[in-house]
Amino acid sequence: MNNIRLLKTGAHSAAWNMALDEAMMQIAAESNEWIPSLRFYSWTPSAVSIGYFQSLNEEVDLDACKKHGVDIVRRLTGGGAVFHDSELTYSFITKEYPNGIHDSYHLICGAITDGLKTIGIDSQFIPINDLLVNGKKFSGNAQTRKKGVLLQHGTILLKVDVDKMFELLKVPNEKLKGKLISDVKQRVTALDKSFEEVESALEKGFAQRFNANVERSELSDEELKKCNELISKYSSMEWVGRI
Amino acid sequence: MKSGKNIYKAGKLLKISLEYDNVIRQIKITGDFFLYPEEGIEQLQLQLIGAELTKEKLTDRINQILKIEKLEPFGFNSEQLAEAILGACKE
Repeated sequence: MNNIRLLKTGAHSAAWNMALDEAMMQIAAESNEWIPSLRFYSWTPSAVSIGYFQSLNEEVDLDACKKHGVDIVRRLTGGGAVFHDSELTYSFITKEYPNGIHDSYHLICGAITDGLKTIGIDSQFIPINDLLVNGKKFSGNAQTRKKGVLLQHGTILLKVDVDKMFELLKVPNEKLKGKLISDVKQRVTALDKSFEEVESALEKGFAQRFNANVERSELSDEELKKCNELISKYSSMEWVGRI
Repeated sequence: MKSGKNIYKAGKLLKISLEYDNVIRQIKITGDFFLYPEEGIEQLQLQLIGAELTKEKLTDRINQILKIEKLEPFGFNSEQLAEAILGACKE
């Protein structure tokens, strides 16, 4: 039987959340006794995160974010811009994972689909990095690997406000914005479950998929210290507005 | 020297910003794709400078850079990146 450490860190700023993911990765890389760690969290205030390779100015309407009091952060991972509002976000940090990128997405997303099944949701992992229910996307996932550590984090929509999302995110062609919004409304959905219901379902899914004993834990002093050190990076324009 | 931009839908979106004459002079690749390790994007962009703008030569060059720098793209392949770059030359 394997072990998975479960962390419920609650709602934090975008910079704190992304700093903690990197802090845990760094500590995992240096540790010989790292237990795969699953974290559930949310964002306060609501936030937009952009992918490692995205241009801030091309993707995000900075004035709209300011007007709505929405945080902006750049992730350590690739992938697209996400508006984090009514959702459950998870991170999974492990040193034991399949070599293939597709295989590791499949494994971790499989834990989510397994878990959601326990609350009557029949979902599918659709490569590259999406989870769908009834053909509609409710979850995006992103992964990075550094120094023998894999981080996958992702979002599970509990409610969705596509109009607000498009106020905050830019589209490549303003003329087609109306059509794009109606397309996204067709393609995206939310689970309409509570945070706690999804949290408990995912806990079961990870236990099942990894044949693991999932044990509730707290952040170590070392993790908190490293997280606090990294907050300034994730708050800085040097990082957020890098491209 | 000319400049161009292109948005290309591979598995993920590739957004190209290019300065060129008969070869690439400057290139910025952004988008919602994945590349492992991520920092390798800098070398990929740098080593594309001087590349000739034909599909075959670009694809070969990208393949070579990925191999030498041990980069693994996810959400696009070399041929798609070459097409994305050539699309930025059509404006």
